[in-house]
Amino acid sequence: MSKDALGLPETRTWRDIPQQVRPRAMSLEGRRRLTMGAIRASLGALALGTVAWGAWEMAAVLRENSAAMPDVAKSDRVRSLVLVTDGVLDKDWLARTLALPGDAALMGLDLIKLRSRVLGDAQVGSATIIRNFPSTLTVRISERSPVARLMAQSGGDAPRMLLVSRDGVAFAGTGFDPAMVATLPWVEGVKLVRRGGSIAPIDGMAAVADLLASAKLEAETLYRTWQVISLERLASDGEIDVHTRGGMKITFGANEDYLRQIARLDLLIDASSDPTRPLRAVNLALGPQVPVVYGTAAPTLGDLAPASASPALARPSIVLPAFSNFHIDAHREL
Amino acid sequence: MSFKTAYIGAVEIGTAKIAALVGEYTGREIVIIGCGECPSRGVIKGSVVDYRAATECTQTALELAERDANERIDQVFLAQTGGHLEGFYNEASLNVKAADNMIEKDDIRTVCELAKAKDLPLGRMVVHNIRRPFRVDGRLVPTSPENLVGQKLEVGYWTVHGQEQRLADNIHVIRGFNLEVSELVLSSLASGHMVTSLEERQNGVLAIDIGAGTTDYVLYRNGVPHTTGVLAVGGGHFTNDISIGLRLTEAQAEKLKLRFGRAVVQARDRNEKVWLDGNFSIGDRQFPRQAIESITAARAWELLEVVKKKLGHAFAPETCAGGVVLTGGAAKLPALSVCAAKVFGTQARLGEAPSWVNENLRDPGFHTALGILYYGVSAQGDRAAAARGRGGFLHNVTRLFAPT
Repeated sequence: MSKDALGLPETRTWRDIPQQVRPRAMSLEGRRRLTMGAIRASLGALALGTVAWGAWEMAAVLRENSAAMPDVAKSDRVRSLVLVTDGVLDKDWLARTLALPGDAALMGLDLIKLRSRVLGDAQVGSATIIRNFPSTLTVRISERSPVARLMAQSGGDAPRMLLVSRDGVAFAGTGFDPAMVATLPWVEGVKLVRRGGSIAPIDGMAAVADLLASAKLEAETLYRTWQVISLERLASDGEIDVHTRGGMKITFGANEDYLRQIARLDLLIDASSDPTRPLRAVNLALGPQVPVVYGTAAPTLGDLAPASASPALARPSIVLPAFSNFHIDAHREL
Repeated sequence: MSFKTAYIGAVEIGTAKIAALVGEYTGREIVIIGCGECPSRGVIKGSVVDYRAATECTQTALELAERDANERIDQVFLAQTGGHLEGFYNEASLNVKAADNMIEKDDIRTVCELAKAKDLPLGRMVVHNIRRPFRVDGRLVPTSPENLVGQKLEVGYWTVHGQEQRLADNIHVIRGFNLEVSELVLSSLASGHMVTSLEERQNGVLAIDIGAGTTDYVLYRNGVPHTTGVLAVGGGHFTNDISIGLRLTEAQAEKLKLRFGRAVVQARDRNEKVWLDGNFSIGDRQFPRQAIESITAARAWELLEVVKKKLGHAFAPETCAGGVVLTGGAAKLPALSVCAAKVFGTQARLGEAPSWVNENLRDPGFHTALGILYYGVSAQGDRAAAARGRGGFLHNVTRLFAPT
């Protein structure tokens, strides 16, 4: 029941005393406080007004310019796919990989899922997917470059060729020029391991890539003869064996300077130009000492060895020093 | 529940000094973080007589407190004293509406409104409405009688009121610093709350705060203030009496009072003399010690007698088991508690701040300022709880401040 209903008198309390004081009656500090308070209130009001004005302006722009945000907001179905790449993959590959339904709306796309699909191809190193409103999906990718190739066979499947990048990732190599692929050396002596749904990166490929890059850059004629790169002894001995098309085996030290080793090889080949005594093995992994193995000349039709004996298995002759500081007796046939 | 930290200033505009404290109130507790003090000017017997001088002194104290706290005060709780303050008791009773005689909120609200409704003389304003315990059919109910069964509900209020201009002057002194007075607390309630325990208030206790210009007292019964009052007499009058009796200046008399004044005469030798300064300087002279003690003792006895007379039948030693607790600057007069015990016929002691109060705030001169903070926060909490119509969280918070 209220006071009015009870007919009670209204008693005045100290709270009825007006607390307003004229600035004139205030002290200096009081006036300073009053001024500061007014400034703070003004700044607050100004900030609030600015925000309100900004919101109003934004609303006006959206209302008047229908080509701007409204289109973005409602979004269209995906009409075009744009692929930006630094490699050889094309739009067909992108369409196959993304496998978007025909009526997929741009805003309805799960970009994370699509990105994982793109990255599912090991040839793709990194990927960014962007919605370009109203109807374009842009995919930017960075591809892996192959440095070698290998033959892989899983279970009872037919062997298939894979390309290997510098970081050891093996991938199918979609879209590469077969002529370019044919120039890549083969990799052997590695055991491929499946991890998840893909092949685990091959260890030591960075060292191989450095060797191949050095050779390609400094002695391309030599590089073109290299057929097989063996990583069999890389982990254990730190050596990479290269088998050439001519049947020569070159051993490189993975911990040595490749340029120096290639230079020595080049010099050695130039110095051993006797066709009757071709080089069969060169070991560049021992520093300045380079043991070499000479073979016999390719047999003529007249002096063919028995059928069971192939040139590769022909017993090489003695070991000769490649450089003057070599000791003749120090090295024997391997 | 989130609560923005508030910095509350507690200000006591006294006749001798102006004390200001800054409390950091977090919603759960209040912590004293700064204090300031300034000798008072422009205040006589607790009333502002020179606005400019009083404003300057008060603002000096506030600035010192703010500087000490390193924070800006948001609002002020102000102590109110002065001879213009008076109190009266008014009670009301109500027949419970419900057929089953169960008391409802509406009954409580109505009886409270009836008890508070009293016309005041022109120019008077209510400072406090202090509720005494409810009675249901004559049975004392210390808390809320809601849902109790009875036919008759009674309640009484002790209403303290003061002169509008005097109240406004005090408020305007604070407003001159561009600060809002959010709570006006009677000095006696503030200091009484500080120097008495909950148990003492429950058993009955009389707290007397003797300042320089006024003496504030509050009698507690059943845990709540029963009667309050203000006398426009304080320690300054002791000084004045010595000044007149021994023909000295105020400053000289004050010096003698502080050094040799007593509330009970102890000196037996009429010829025992004391030096005014004791440094043999020009004007230094001797005074009979007994004369000084006689003057202060007579004034102390008279002051306490007046308090007792003002209390009348409200005070009885048998209903005041907690005795008399003395506080305020003038309460430091030696043997005042002995004098009070004789006058009131019960035990008396000098009030002390609770143990958790910082050492530099334990002086009786700060009890009122401390009490303003704690009493003010409690009062605000009670009001907020009442406004929400439930005695929930805030009510519990206020209970935190009740000293044990």
